[in-house]
Amino acid sequence: MSNFLTATTLGNPNPNKSFEVSEPPNDSVSSLSFSPKANFLVATSWDNQVRCWEIMRNGVNVASMPKASIMHDQPVLCSTWKDDGMTVFSGGCDKQVKMWPLMSGGQPMTVAVHDAPISEMAWIPEMSLLVTGSWDKTLKYWDTRQSNPVHVQQLPERCYALTVKHPLMVVGTADRNLIVFNLQNPQTEYKRIVSPLKYQTRCVAAFPDLQGFLVGSIEGRVGVHHLDDQQQSKNFTFKCHREGSETYSVNSLNFHPVHHTFATAGSDGAFNFWDKDSKQRLKAMSRCSQPIPCSTFNSDGSIFAYSVCYDWSKGAENHNPATAKTYIFLHLPQESEVKSKPRIGTSGRK
Amino acid sequence: MHYKKEPCRNFQRGSCQYGERCKFLHVIQQQPKSNAFGFGTQASSHQQQKPNPFGFGVQNNVQSKGANDFGNKQNQFKNTWTRSSASSAPSLRQPDNQPQATNHQCTDPELCKRTIIEDFEHERPLWKLTCYSHWKNSPCDIVGDVSFEELRATAYDDAKHGLSLQSIVDRERNLLNSKLVEFENLLRNPYTGPVGSTLAQQIPFPTATATAFSPQNSGRSQNGFPPSVSSFSQLGASLNSGSAVRPSIESNNAFGQPISFSSSAQASSVFATNNIPLANAFSFGNQQPNQSVAASFSTSMSSFSNSSVTSTALNQFSAPVVSTQNLSLSSVQPPALFNVSNLISKADGQSATDIQLGSNLQRKIVSGDSSIWLKEKWIPGEIPEEAPPDAYV
Repeated sequence: MSNFLTATTLGNPNPNKSFEVSEPPNDSVSSLSFSPKANFLVATSWDNQVRCWEIMRNGVNVASMPKASIMHDQPVLCSTWKDDGMTVFSGGCDKQVKMWPLMSGGQPMTVAVHDAPISEMAWIPEMSLLVTGSWDKTLKYWDTRQSNPVHVQQLPERCYALTVKHPLMVVGTADRNLIVFNLQNPQTEYKRIVSPLKYQTRCVAAFPDLQGFLVGSIEGRVGVHHLDDQQQSKNFTFKCHREGSETYSVNSLNFHPVHHTFATAGSDGAFNFWDKDSKQRLKAMSRCSQPIPCSTFNSDGSIFAYSVCYDWSKGAENHNPATAKTYIFLHLPQESEVKSKPRIGTSGRK
Repeated sequence: MHYKKEPCRNFQRGSCQYGERCKFLHVIQQQPKSNAFGFGTQASSHQQQKPNPFGFGVQNNVQSKGANDFGNKQNQFKNTWTRSSASSAPSLRQPDNQPQATNHQCTDPELCKRTIIEDFEHERPLWKLTCYSHWKNSPCDIVGDVSFEELRATAYDDAKHGLSLQSIVDRERNLLNSKLVEFENLLRNPYTGPVGSTLAQQIPFPTATATAFSPQNSGRSQNGFPPSVSSFSQLGASLNSGSAVRPSIESNNAFGQPISFSSSAQASSVFATNNIPLANAFSFGNQQPNQSVAASFSTSMSSFSNSSVTSTALNQFSAPVVSTQNLSLSSVQPPALFNVSNLISKADGQSATDIQLGSNLQRKIVSGDSSIWLKEKWIPGEIPEEAPPDAYV
């Protein structure tokens, strides 16, 4: 598929007939995040903006309405909502985190800084803290009312991926470290393992039942890892986002909030739904003409948002700002796509 | 029927309870031996076998909830699981039959080597700027990750500072080539173990360590690096090796002038310091110089760019400097010295090895510095400020 990316204008960016969000950013989207309380979608982008849309759903019809946006000085890489659904945090290459009380119409203010771009962040409601991970090899915990972090946690390497489900937090760093924290004791690493995958870690996602986590890498593979030593036999890895001999990166892992199945999105422009318990793929969606760098479910899993735009997986050469297009699509998952199924094979191998 | 026939795993293991009723094919050993291990380390060999257009284990072909296709009993061979098929099918069933391989000791370098060869042949990911380990849960054999975002952030920053697209592309390509060289070396040289066996140890920050080369080069001189392969000479070769790095943009864009990737035109000087993502990653990571080639390194970091350039030379005390370019990801083991060399060079008034992506100057500077330790007599002004690495003591 060498013409995969050069044919951005030729291929269909929306083969899945997803709903297209209006007024997408002018450059690639780096993160997508739904409010925990309502269908408000925030996207951060390489054009330095953080944008918010209201998503209105009426049966199978979906409409998007741009609400507000703020600017950073540099590309914005990550975002997260506060649990009250009123405030959005965003951070990126400007090494700062802005807290933006957008639902109340407030102005953003800087609440966190790092020494290097901030690649990941998460709001921890149980602790009322924001945790940020950066390429400066630290995790910092912030009480937004104070300018100094509550705690600084050193990482062995740059933070590449982060997932939080209290009290489980997993950080993926460069050079395949995966560090597990128990947030009840955040100053100590609970466990540090080397990734079960052979290449660079790209994304992680904690199981909703806290038994373990998923890790995705650039080699088109996802690892399912359980924390408990007794459950190590349940660990496995599987391949995905591959086409012929081409091996694409898995860019995003998202658990469905209700069914606890999960979605993967990759540089091949496809997204799939999987069930790790029955070890099967529930649904493979059609490939879009550009990579999908990020994706997310809304709070009840009724909407799956994903962005189709260039993720730099082929370097600067394949980036043509003049013709590059960025899309954000909304997919309404059907039950068959995200609901767990018993394995047909196991129940008798008909 | 319209399903492909898949071999029966249980049968191959010698115990299929369905016997003739089994919906899978009872054939012997069609799968390569790596089956026993299930998970796709060697899954590559499956790639060419029976590509299943429908995808193994994929329910998606059945739009409705019911497993209609599976209701067809004649269809014995619809395989809902498979161990691996790189074509489209995701195979989830690759159980971790082996115990958590945290204890993989590379006792059989030949086996490890073969694993590496197979990996490189079949499972090279499209993104090349990555670390690598031949065995899951084992420390990296090649360190030096650069993520998509890091590369992009650097490119955007360069653009903001006025670099042309072509030079950005060149820089990235150099990075890529150095990385490819590392992989090539891992492939070529006898395998001697991962970069650091003590990966679990936390390295005091920022004295990170990096030693991608040591294991590979243990065959030759200690602390050696790849041979003086010029990454430029490999330009053609490595360009063919799968990475889509071809200069194709010139004609497309009017990028004769500095580009701005994003709408913001602010020339922030954020990255002027060593906060450039790449540079940061490459920041002057030190490492306690270790003599032993492989094992004692705790790796968690790699030093790139200047670091690597300087360090490379420093390591090879008398050997020629490595071909790795400035942004080379050739992580070597930079002794603590290499930080010093920057100080030295600065003290000497030479152009400091600052994070300039593009000058070959550093190489020369470094060469000079490395011989510092070999000099009998030091001229004031060039006395290193830090203790020499153990190698020299």
